[in-house]
Amino acid sequence: MQRFLDPMVLAGISGLDLVAQTVVDGFVAGLHRSPDFGFSQEFAEYRSYNPGDDLRHVDWNVFARSEKMYLKRYRGETNCQVSILLDASRSMRFTSHKIDKLEYARFLTASLAYLASLQRDAAGLVVFDDDVKQFVPPSTRQGQLARLLHAIEKAEVGARTDYAKPFAHLREFLHRRGLIVCISDFWEKPQEVIKTIAPLRYHGNEVVLFHLLDPEEIRPKVKYPVLMEDLETGDTIEVSPDYVAKEYPAKMDAHMEELRSEAKSNGLDYFMIDTSRPLDAALREYLAIRGGRM
Amino acid sequence: MGFFAPWFLAGLAAVGIPIWVHLLKRHKTDPKPFPSLMFFEQREQSSVRHRRLDYLLLFALRAAMIILLALLFANPFIRRPIAAGGGNKITVVAVDRSFSMRAGNRLQQAKDEALKAVGNLKPGDQAQVIALAGTVQALTQVVTDPEQLRAAVVAIQPSDSRASFGELARYLRTLADAQKLPLDVHLASDLQKSAMPPGFADLRVNPGTTLFFHPVGDPAPNWAVENVVAPRRVYDTKRVHLQAVIAGYGTPAAKRTVTLVLNGRTLQTKTVDVPANGRGQVEFLGLDAPYGFSRGEVRIDGGDVLPNDDRFLFSVERADPRKVMFVDDGRHPRAELYFRAAVDSAGDGAFTVEDQRPESAAAATLSSYPFIVLSDLGNVPQQLENALQNYVRNGGSVLVALGPAAAVLPRVPVLDEPIQASNYAGREGDRFLSVTDVDAGHPALRAVDRFTGVKFYQTIRVNPMKSRVLARMNDGTPLVMERSIGEGKVIAFASTFDNVANDLPLHASWVPFISQTALYLGGGGAEQPVNLPVDSYVELRAANASGNDASGAAAEVLDADGKRLLSLEESVKATNFLLDREGYFEIKTASGRRSLIAAHADRRESDLAPIPKETLDLWKGTGAVDTSSTGGAGGASTDTERPWPLWPYILLLLLGVAVAESVVANRYLRPSVQEKEPLKREAA
Repeated sequence: MQRFLDPMVLAGISGLDLVAQTVVDGFVAGLHRSPDFGFSQEFAEYRSYNPGDDLRHVDWNVFARSEKMYLKRYRGETNCQVSILLDASRSMRFTSHKIDKLEYARFLTASLAYLASLQRDAAGLVVFDDDVKQFVPPSTRQGQLARLLHAIEKAEVGARTDYAKPFAHLREFLHRRGLIVCISDFWEKPQEVIKTIAPLRYHGNEVVLFHLLDPEEIRPKVKYPVLMEDLETGDTIEVSPDYVAKEYPAKMDAHMEELRSEAKSNGLDYFMIDTSRPLDAALREYLAIRGGRM
Repeated sequence: MGFFAPWFLAGLAAVGIPIWVHLLKRHKTDPKPFPSLMFFEQREQSSVRHRRLDYLLLFALRAAMIILLALLFANPFIRRPIAAGGGNKITVVAVDRSFSMRAGNRLQQAKDEALKAVGNLKPGDQAQVIALAGTVQALTQVVTDPEQLRAAVVAIQPSDSRASFGELARYLRTLADAQKLPLDVHLASDLQKSAMPPGFADLRVNPGTTLFFHPVGDPAPNWAVENVVAPRRVYDTKRVHLQAVIAGYGTPAAKRTVTLVLNGRTLQTKTVDVPANGRGQVEFLGLDAPYGFSRGEVRIDGGDVLPNDDRFLFSVERADPRKVMFVDDGRHPRAELYFRAAVDSAGDGAFTVEDQRPESAAAATLSSYPFIVLSDLGNVPQQLENALQNYVRNGGSVLVALGPAAAVLPRVPVLDEPIQASNYAGREGDRFLSVTDVDAGHPALRAVDRFTGVKFYQTIRVNPMKSRVLARMNDGTPLVMERSIGEGKVIAFASTFDNVANDLPLHASWVPFISQTALYLGGGGAEQPVNLPVDSYVELRAANASGNDASGAAAEVLDADGKRLLSLEESVKATNFLLDREGYFEIKTASGRRSLIAAHADRRESDLAPIPKETLDLWKGTGAVDTSSTGGAGGASTDTERPWPLWPYILLLLLGVAVAESVVANRYLRPSVQEKEPLKREAA
């Protein structure tokens, strides 16, 4: 199974739904859980039956043994609202191998949407660059997963990133507390990013930042002095191999560390994903950190 | 300064390649896209300066490599003045002693001219005397003693070899290269046109070599016995046909009387009309030769300047037809019938066929048979097979026919090659097989005409691991194979000799195939002609891979006077013998075969037409450095210049630049320490 989860192999699978199923079903199976029961279906406690309670929740096995009626209660009976923000700026087009960051982000978004639908959570999507390109409001209606996958499929690279507009838009439509997942390469000053995103946290939402980076972005390999061109602005600059080998990695590490600490201090979850890693491994690691909660 | 090959200087245009790579290409560097430049800083100035320095050094080295390479091919030289006086040149006196110099007193005239050239030498001049025939023979070292040179000239004797001016030019080039001095060459010769090499380039001499020709003799008409076609062996003296060709060179139409002489006895005389500057042919019927080897000669009446080519030597051997053992177990009665008919049909009646059963064949004295035929015997009795193997190793020959009986054998008898399967042409596939591949140059298959129309219904597929395949079927099955074992040989035919497994006996190629194979096998060893031109080699023993004869048997060569021509060591080691003069040579090879070889001078020497003057001038011109440097006979003492090639120095310089370029390029392209560190971390 593992070999099918290589990002390049996933890219060869035609439909996003199939990609999402491949990733999530395999991942769930890997946890030895039945895919028919989401994490939010986990048993929490028993409660005595009171007249008027729904008979479907009565544990008839217990009744058979003790002739007393108990109701089974589950954790998260109330569905969570999951909003996924997908960055589709031009910088997401970058890649040093076959899968660019946007494609990887598509797989990740589809997998999260599929996972949410398994748990019967209301999932929504915002595709943005410097403006909101697509918006699918969170819902648990039938066909919501198909709508989400269609929107993910249609996501194309646009202009440069601007976090202000999409998050303002989201605040406008977000009426219920829930989980907000932001998938981006965060090529912005960490303070600016956090300053824009943190207000969502104040409304009681849980915010998760998926920082998507290509290995070449973390440790670029340059043998000769080259002319670098900014994918978003089109600016160029000539850089030397010595600088790229020596100074750039330190700055990049500092950037990621600052983003992580800023996120943590503002109560946001931060998770860095290298696009050369298998998608299910990244998801598994993320969920392990979050204690099984999505 | 000049260039030997200036056209190669066009290669200097290739300097454009490093210019393009270093100066033009770098300005077209495509920008590398990157998501964000927020962590990059402008370091253009330092990096580009560093790069330019590297580039300039690399560029200079690469451009220098190309320039040096072009110069190397153009082969530049400088002219260095050299004094043409006493010790700075070598005089070479060459005397032609080829067969044509026997005409009149040409050799004496040539020696006189050579003595004159030696007489013109100044005290202290270095000189050498060489004699020219088939090869160049140095009669002295490069010496300054005129007496030694004169003695060498006087001692020159005529030879029967053919002159080769190509060999002379090659020797002069070698001498000039070794001595590194200009040569003055005095060639005393009849300057025969027929002594010219096929290509004029072979006449080239080194610059600084000056040729002086001393022609001797005048063009004269000459008749010669150009060729005699006589059988090697005579079995029936009345059936012998002997042909002689009489040629005239620069002659008017004339009648010549041709005489056939055998062992000193005149047998027949005929007259032939020889057209002007043409050829006439005469044929003698019947040759009353006694048993054994006979020394034959065809003569014409004399009257020209070169009497030595008015006779042509040949040798014949009178013998009774020899019995060929045909071993047959009675399975294929028609095979013996067809084989016998083919042998009897051969024109010279050299062989008769004796039928034997395998049991009786084992007891027979095999060495008395010229060759033995095994007709699809199947299992050969062990005793017979051992006897056959000894027979072949000692020079005997075996012809093996394979048929249905051989299909069950693991290996081919005597030939010792594995049998893979039996091929049957079935009704469902090809109805028959045919021959597609024939080694038409092989003596046994020379006249078979590719076995045209012959249908093979059954063949034995043999894997020829040590044998040479002479003919192959259309499905790749070897049909005829030959293998040399010891002094003898074995030929295997992968089908039978009757008309059951094939219809070969009913076709025209049957008789030539059998008769040629019989002659090839019955001759014993490598059948070599007995009438050869002078300077030919006669094979004395078959050399194995190590070049030595395993048996250690002695070979022998006797001249016409019965004198032994080989030393004791040569008789056990020599593989060849050079026929260096006309006459009869009795040869006994290491395998014990005896033959009488008649050697005759190459008849191209009979054409006394000289080389045109224009050609001689051209030849002379190949050694000229410049027109002012030519001198008179004996060498003039004017100052001259000699080209001094510079290519060795350019080559050394090129190697040095190439090494420097490798070092600089390697340093430039090597990843820096900082680049290696992440790689190491990743590996860890």
